[in-house]
Amino acid sequence: MAIVIETQNLARTFKSYEKPEGLWQSIRGFWDRKYTEKVALAETTLQIESGQIIGLVGANGAGKTTLLKLLSGLIHPTGGTASVLGHKPWERNPAFLKRMSILLGQKNQLWWDLSPADSFALLAEIYDLDRESAKKRVTELAEVLDCQHVLQTQLRRLSLGERMKMEIIGALLHRPDVLFLDEPTIGLDIVAQTSIRKFLSEYVREQGPTVILTSHYMDDIAKLADRLLLISKGSIVYDGTVQGFVNKTESMQKVSFSLSEPLASEVVLSPEVKLAVSTQQFEFEIASKNLPSVLSRVTALAGIHDLKIDEAHFEDIIHRFLEKESRVLSPGRSDKS
Amino acid sequence: MTGLIELTLWTAIFASAQTTLIAGFPKESYLAYVLWTAFVTRITTNWMYESRMIEEIDKGSINGLLVRPMSFFEYYLSQLLGYKFITSSLSFLIPLVAVSYFGLPTVYSKLPLALLLIAYYLVFVHTLSFFIATLAFQLNRVYSLTIAKNLALWIFTGELFPLDILPEPYRSILIQLPFANAVFIPVGYLTGRVPLEMVCHGFATTTYGLIVMGALSALTWKWGLSKYSGHGA
Repeated sequence: MAIVIETQNLARTFKSYEKPEGLWQSIRGFWDRKYTEKVALAETTLQIESGQIIGLVGANGAGKTTLLKLLSGLIHPTGGTASVLGHKPWERNPAFLKRMSILLGQKNQLWWDLSPADSFALLAEIYDLDRESAKKRVTELAEVLDCQHVLQTQLRRLSLGERMKMEIIGALLHRPDVLFLDEPTIGLDIVAQTSIRKFLSEYVREQGPTVILTSHYMDDIAKLADRLLLISKGSIVYDGTVQGFVNKTESMQKVSFSLSEPLASEVVLSPEVKLAVSTQQFEFEIASKNLPSVLSRVTALAGIHDLKIDEAHFEDIIHRFLEKESRVLSPGRSDKS
Repeated sequence: MTGLIELTLWTAIFASAQTTLIAGFPKESYLAYVLWTAFVTRITTNWMYESRMIEEIDKGSINGLLVRPMSFFEYYLSQLLGYKFITSSLSFLIPLVAVSYFGLPTVYSKLPLALLLIAYYLVFVHTLSFFIATLAFQLNRVYSLTIAKNLALWIFTGELFPLDILPEPYRSILIQLPFANAVFIPVGYLTGRVPLEMVCHGFATTTYGLIVMGALSALTWKWGLSKYSGHGA
């Protein structure tokens, strides 16, 4: 398969002015400025093949969106280089822009005061698409997304879920070869999330674009991604399959049970798991290797019922990873887990 | 409203000066100038689109445009020209009826050339606005530059008073600048106080203004994008 995205030591540092407090200090800032630098993306080298779906996962501020912005040409790098579909993205060559699309889930890209139908007509002009073919494509996509009824309604009057569906149609109208999806399901209810996830899954299977997807909902990543990139503090810390990541991390089991009477005193099951006094329902995770010894103590408790043992899900594993990362990022945070 | 104040002001000036000519022109010439200025100024000011461009950069909504195969400059220029064409076509009747009713001096055959110069100036003033907007990539509160620029243009364009009543060398300096093509030259030509040569000169000054502002804004655009953090997304 051809390589469509390639980066070589790609990096971005943000420099920001430290604005001091008070009027005099602000005036002084004209000649005596202090800047802080933050590495948003450390030197990153990667290759992505055509037709792959990449799940880009990391804590807030880890560098996911910066990587997407660099690859889509929104921002310039401070180091290294990148090639997307044979172009340097930040040169904003129209030939490149016509073959890619970026969907920013937290930002409207269609025109707020226009109806989606008018916005799509305008996009058809911008991308030099044949008007009739563009109309046909809008109808097809709207049918699949079940949103034909809102095409003529002003964007500002639509619900968040409907707006996101419109943004998706706008992003796919010109059949991009590379698609960057930044939090496409953020803020949506479970029904809208499922519908959009299903649509994207079918779309990428049928049309085969190369996709880089970031999402806080791990279900999006687990169900869609062929390859997982875990990013932490601006560096890629894992590059492989979702299953590979699950296998690599310590296997965990989720244990839950109830007691007929609240506990009269604290019970220590293992150094990590303590059952609090006056509690009746319990749920905790435990490493597989410690399961037998913990289970023998649990089953010895009086009045135990509804005992359940589940394999920890990908979502739980990633959350644990992100939690660990964010603790590293904010060392002052107290650990109550 | 400004037009009405200026009409009253010029009438009062002529009444108190006890003369029929000021700087070689009669009262009717000034009244016609004021009436046409009120109309032409509405066409040649574009602070509204300038503010929108600044806001797009300030708030990061420009991201949605940057990732598309389109030019930010042309996108706003086409909006500006479209808006001005529609509003001007409708409001054109007001000065036309007023000058005809009061019998004020206007050479209608000069209207096409005057409007052409105005349209050309509009491209220049949009380039100037684009230049100011690109500064928002690096600076906060760029709106203050818009306000300062608008105040300067109030005088430099001849909106406040005809530039030919200024003493030398101010008169010559201001006429050499492209800003005179916003109001003074087209309205002066239309009302008979500016010769054809000055209109030709106006096309030339607009052209050099466009070249200078075009080059400057191309630099600030490139510089701004290289520093842009893509915030707001």
